[in-house]
Amino acid sequence: MNRFPRRRTGVFVFVVAFLTFGSALGAQAKPGRIVGRILDANTGQGLPDVGVQVVGTTLGSMSGVDGRYALTNIPAGTVTIQVRRLGFQPKTVTGIMLEADKTLEQNITMESATITLAAQVVTANAERGSVNEALDAQRIATGVVNAITAEQISRSPDSDAAQAVQRVSGVTVQGGRYVFVRGLGERYTTAQLNGTRIPSPEPEKKVVPLDLFPSGLLQTITTQKTFTPDLQGDFSGGQVDIKTREFPARRSMTYSLTLGANSAAVGSDVRRAFSVGGEGLALVSGDRGIPTLLKAFSDQGFPTLNDGDKRLMVSSMRNAWSSQLAAGMPNGSASLSIGGNDPVFGRRIGYLVSGTYSATQDVRTDQVRALANRGSQPGETIEFNRFEGSTGNQGVLWGGIANFSTLIGGHTRLLVNNTFNRTSDNEARTERGNFESEGVDVTIDKNQYVERSVRSNQFGAEHQFGEKHRADWFVTSSAVTRDEPDRSEFISIIEPGTSGGESLRWLSTGNGGAVRTFGKLQESSTEARANYQYSFSAAGRQHSLKVGGLFRATDRDASTFSYSISAPRATQAERALTPEQIFDGRFANRPNFWEVVALSQGGNYDATDRLGAGFAMMELGLSDRIRFIGGARYETDEVTLNAQSTLGSPVRVNNIWTDLLPSAAFNVKLSEFQTLRLSLSKTLARPEYRELSPVASRDVLNADDVQGNPDLQRTQIVNADLRWEWYPSESEVFSIGVFGKTFDNPIERVYRATGSANRTIVYVNADEATNYGLEIEARKNLGAFASVLQPFVVFSNVTFMQSEIRLGTQQLAATNANRRMVGQAPYVVNAGLTYSSRSGNTSATLLYNRTGERIDAAGDQPLPDMVLLPRDMVDLSLRLPLIRSLSMRLDARNVLDAPYEISQGTVTRDYYRQGRIFQMGLQWRP
Amino acid sequence: MRLLRLLAVLPFLAACGSDDPSGPVAPVAPLGVQAAPTGTSTVRVTFPSTTGINTYNIERAEGAAGTFAQVGTAAAPATPGTVTYDDTGLKVQTLYRYRVLAVRGGVASAPSGETSATTLAFGTFSRSITGDITANTTLYADTAYTLAGFIHVVAPATLTIQPGTIIKGNEQSALFVLRGAKINAVGRADAPIVMTSSKAVGQRRAGDWGGLIIIGNATINKTGANPRLDGSGTDGTAVVSGRNYEILYGGGTNDADDSGELRYVRVEFAGFAPRANEELNSFTFAGVGSGTRLSYLQAVYGLDDAFEWFGGSVNATNLVSYETGDDHFDMSEGYRGKLQFLIGMQSGTVNINPLPGQNVATDPQGIENDGCDGAGCNNGFDSNPLTVPVVANFTLIGTGDINAGAGSAGGIGMLLRRGSGGYYVNGVVARWPRAAMSVRDQATYNRGGAVATPDLATADLALRNIAVLESANAFESGTGRFSFDVAGNALVATAGTTASLFTAYPSAITNTTPVASFDWTPAASAAIATGGLATFTGKLATAAGTVVSGTAYRGAAAPGGAKWWQGWTTYAQR
Repeated sequence: MNRFPRRRTGVFVFVVAFLTFGSALGAQAKPGRIVGRILDANTGQGLPDVGVQVVGTTLGSMSGVDGRYALTNIPAGTVTIQVRRLGFQPKTVTGIMLEADKTLEQNITMESATITLAAQVVTANAERGSVNEALDAQRIATGVVNAITAEQISRSPDSDAAQAVQRVSGVTVQGGRYVFVRGLGERYTTAQLNGTRIPSPEPEKKVVPLDLFPSGLLQTITTQKTFTPDLQGDFSGGQVDIKTREFPARRSMTYSLTLGANSAAVGSDVRRAFSVGGEGLALVSGDRGIPTLLKAFSDQGFPTLNDGDKRLMVSSMRNAWSSQLAAGMPNGSASLSIGGNDPVFGRRIGYLVSGTYSATQDVRTDQVRALANRGSQPGETIEFNRFEGSTGNQGVLWGGIANFSTLIGGHTRLLVNNTFNRTSDNEARTERGNFESEGVDVTIDKNQYVERSVRSNQFGAEHQFGEKHRADWFVTSSAVTRDEPDRSEFISIIEPGTSGGESLRWLSTGNGGAVRTFGKLQESSTEARANYQYSFSAAGRQHSLKVGGLFRATDRDASTFSYSISAPRATQAERALTPEQIFDGRFANRPNFWEVVALSQGGNYDATDRLGAGFAMMELGLSDRIRFIGGARYETDEVTLNAQSTLGSPVRVNNIWTDLLPSAAFNVKLSEFQTLRLSLSKTLARPEYRELSPVASRDVLNADDVQGNPDLQRTQIVNADLRWEWYPSESEVFSIGVFGKTFDNPIERVYRATGSANRTIVYVNADEATNYGLEIEARKNLGAFASVLQPFVVFSNVTFMQSEIRLGTQQLAATNANRRMVGQAPYVVNAGLTYSSRSGNTSATLLYNRTGERIDAAGDQPLPDMVLLPRDMVDLSLRLPLIRSLSMRLDARNVLDAPYEISQGTVTRDYYRQGRIFQMGLQWRP
Repeated sequence: MRLLRLLAVLPFLAACGSDDPSGPVAPVAPLGVQAAPTGTSTVRVTFPSTTGINTYNIERAEGAAGTFAQVGTAAAPATPGTVTYDDTGLKVQTLYRYRVLAVRGGVASAPSGETSATTLAFGTFSRSITGDITANTTLYADTAYTLAGFIHVVAPATLTIQPGTIIKGNEQSALFVLRGAKINAVGRADAPIVMTSSKAVGQRRAGDWGGLIIIGNATINKTGANPRLDGSGTDGTAVVSGRNYEILYGGGTNDADDSGELRYVRVEFAGFAPRANEELNSFTFAGVGSGTRLSYLQAVYGLDDAFEWFGGSVNATNLVSYETGDDHFDMSEGYRGKLQFLIGMQSGTVNINPLPGQNVATDPQGIENDGCDGAGCNNGFDSNPLTVPVVANFTLIGTGDINAGAGSAGGIGMLLRRGSGGYYVNGVVARWPRAAMSVRDQATYNRGGAVATPDLATADLALRNIAVLESANAFESGTGRFSFDVAGNALVATAGTTASLFTAYPSAITNTTPVASFDWTPAASAAIATGGLATFTGKLATAAGTVVSGTAYRGAAAPGGAKWWQGWTTYAQR
């Protein structure tokens, strides 16, 4: 099934929609509009049925679902509005400056009437002022939550969600894409888009690479660190929820354009992989697909080939093995978005349609990789198979969102959220090094092209019936694809040349000298969920009861096939030809020249996953200051996996896991601005599909094999959190928290004990693990020290943690039995300084991030563990207005060009630099 | 003619004489004697007994014209019935004639009428071995057995295999003898035990089946992690009869452990890789102890190593390897056995089994010895016990052509690396395209005391009295490589061709080359007929003990000596 043309249509629809809305700009009435939300100051939830009135007029309205309200036809000028609701203290907001023909957004919080009885009067500035939505979300949330908002993202130089999310306390990002919360592995972090799980385009992982989401499309990124029963149960470290942008209160359009350069790419020659044309749109995998003969060979179960078959197969491959050196390209991106709230057929529709395209040149220079052996002295490590080289990658990312919503009556809000993203990476790597085992120096050329896409279509509604009943439901269909067509590796032995110098001769025997790999993964998922909440007051306090259910069906299909091409009878002279000469057809008619072998690393698997869940929870105001949130979630999950390795018998896995996950939390409001949170919960982590599949995979000759384990069980986790938060002012926070977790049957990536030089990484259930830590977050406005420092805010979040894993009697594992968990960092530090002018138009941000040394893979005994060393990341961003609605931004990323390094004992296993990135952007909001 | 007639009458006269009524009367000759083969070397003779007979004499003649001789007697039963006599130790597929004489009171009857039987051919019957062998079991020579899976002989069972027995395997099969179990496979030069591909002759390829693997209880030098046997475990860790479950071979404690005996055994077309890059070997000895006896073994056309030892201390003599996809002899992980009379011969690249993942190695060598490598080596290349084998009287012949099957990174006669020691004496290393010998790294050089001529009194590594010819270099050169002094160690570059050294060595080796065209006896006046180290001294003498002794010649065969490879070895490419 070819799914791509349909996606092209999707883009087309975006564009048409954009043009339609763009041309609708114009007709506007003279008076202005005020829109916003009324929020419960205690719970942060929208308050419906609140009377909103413009003081001194008869103009008024009632807030609807989610506390939204709109006041239209308000005469321009200074306006005062008053809000009233039974059981809440009335509030008057003064000094709202409403311009003619404009829409103004004003959010208002209301206190429960029992707290104080006097009416509150606040100025609009104080109410809105610099209300930091993120802090607000954090303050009023039930659990431990951290958030960053579109505002913060736009002040950082971050271009995608992965970069943005690492600004959050306790979050680490690996490889620029995978998120770890609290230094636990990505296994313990789940990702959601608008509240719905996103299927992963990575064959080995469940988590979604967050660099798929351009930052311009993001409203908030929330990391939820404690479990409540309304969250999905495979939650332990944290959940990252990406919300795409909501519609602005008034119609607005934004065009932005950035141009940048990587210091290591521009002005130098970088590796460039071959192209078949169309890589720039990430739509070429079809043209690089597996040759039909090779596919038939796999499909037919690897029949015995005759010599003619082998010759035809070799001829049918594209003759592309090496990469070129070419001038590094600059980076660029363009995006446009339009949003608003306009009447369509007499009904107000809120909309946001947005598209973005970016092209990046990534490089990895000074690249080193090596393996480590144990030396003869205790603790000594010896380097071998060292390779030095460089990588060039051309990345493309494009996508868009189209979100619509409308209010039906005062009680129902309908939502449609659509997201589509597509990326491609065209990577070329070349390296020189030594194979210790064979005793030869070699060069390796590797080309890899990966296309990924994520699609999500969501339809749902929120209903509010009176003050007490609230319901919502959503149906989401999503799909991801990952295509890795035609990866190639070519290895040449470096031998002394006949006339001095050196000559390269193809490694023409064995299974690694010339390899082509074809990988494909498709996953689709349908999720339906519904929640109902009943709110009531008793003893003068607000309580609520919430029940809900969810069903999700996920289907995945993945295959990878690798083929080795060798010519064991090639002569020295023939082996000395260049790869493109060897494969140019000159040996097409030579009998018994080629051997084509399907590598046994490879195969296919399909997985189906059916999850059903239900929960009941309640939020009780135990006293004016203490709220209890507790309940339980019931989840039953059936995972069926069928795997067929290229070599070996089929394996079927069928697991039904049923769990009851209770949780309880207490929020104690120590004062208006201080909160203490305590939470206890049970959660779980299920193995990824790939981890259950015994199909092996391998990167390149002499690299580690990775193999799944069909016997894996799920991990059960008990979590405890205690956190004290203090909000000295609206833009300031200080919080300190401790957490602890115990893991039963945690899944660990370990080296399998083996007699061969060939290393295999397998997944095992360790006996148990514990993880505990301390989190400190602070955000301080420097205005307290001197009034000239008023525009400056410093912030920092620091997490310290420790973990211990006990592998137990694992026959398979050859790693240290007691150590930290893989991927867990002892500390994560984020710090920053921001400047915002009084108008908010000019801002500057300096960001620093450092993550403590963490285990990348547990070492095979008696070798020490492989650790990823800390990296000092400094980023700078400046945003300033140019003329009228045109603003400019200047960003610098990775200012220190800190190297990425994984070491094992004294051996550098992996090392590279990515270069400094400087970019300039223009943004126009007409 | 007259004389013949006279002779024919003579017995008659004698019979008349014994009819003398004064003496006991001769009984009547038995009637109804039957003979039927019961195996490749056994025939059962049956006949009815009659009243009054004390014993019966059974006589046998070989072939249609052989002369009769008594081979045994059978007591007559108390009440008449059928007498059964099992004749054993016969030649395979051979006609035997039988007759029986009844004896009463010391007087024998005339011979009965003759009957004949032909012993069975090897593998006349066929049977599958479908599960692990957990009780003492014998495999019989008249049956061709097929391994239906990964068959393990599990302690305390002993698997006895009769001479001449044929065992066949396909890709998903191998024969494992696990720790504590024993194999007793003693063939004969005229009836070797053959383990081979289940495919028809002409269709066989390297890697058609797994191979023979013996796991002993001797020590190895990997102590950090218990190593898993390469290729095992594709069916997981749970022990399921007949499946390829995981085999760990570390943790052995008894260097004198006895896994049984292999004698006159051939393993052909083995070396399948059940898992990527984890080929099984034709013969694998993992932690096998010195109580095990190995002699007269041949590996033919395997895909990986012909003989591989992972640690252990088992000794072996008279080993032959003709064509393999990787190394002929591979020792590592603290192997300390003593080997004498070894032949390894490679003429080109083997044809591989076409299943996924199967391929020849990138670096096939003659001998490839490692100290310790990878996970589990607590002291890296210096992990104890060191790999210090005694390898004496070896003949290693390579392809002679860098373009033909050297492997693009192989082609070395003797590769010693990763801290391997050992004493290698009285050898012939010929036709290796990259180098005859290689001392790959510093740790290995250190075994010899890091000097160009190791002192036998102290060194753990020595190469002595080796004839080197038709090889590109005596020692592999390059950065980080080491070499020994050629003259000081008697590593003599020998003039002439390989063919000139031996009594018979074909100029071209093809699929149809008969095995008889290899005669490894030194040719008359060939240089290798002399030049051996006849007297061992120092640590070499200590290591060799009484198991291996010096010879005046070099190579695997004595001038004028027994052609010990003849009769039971084979040469085949398909």
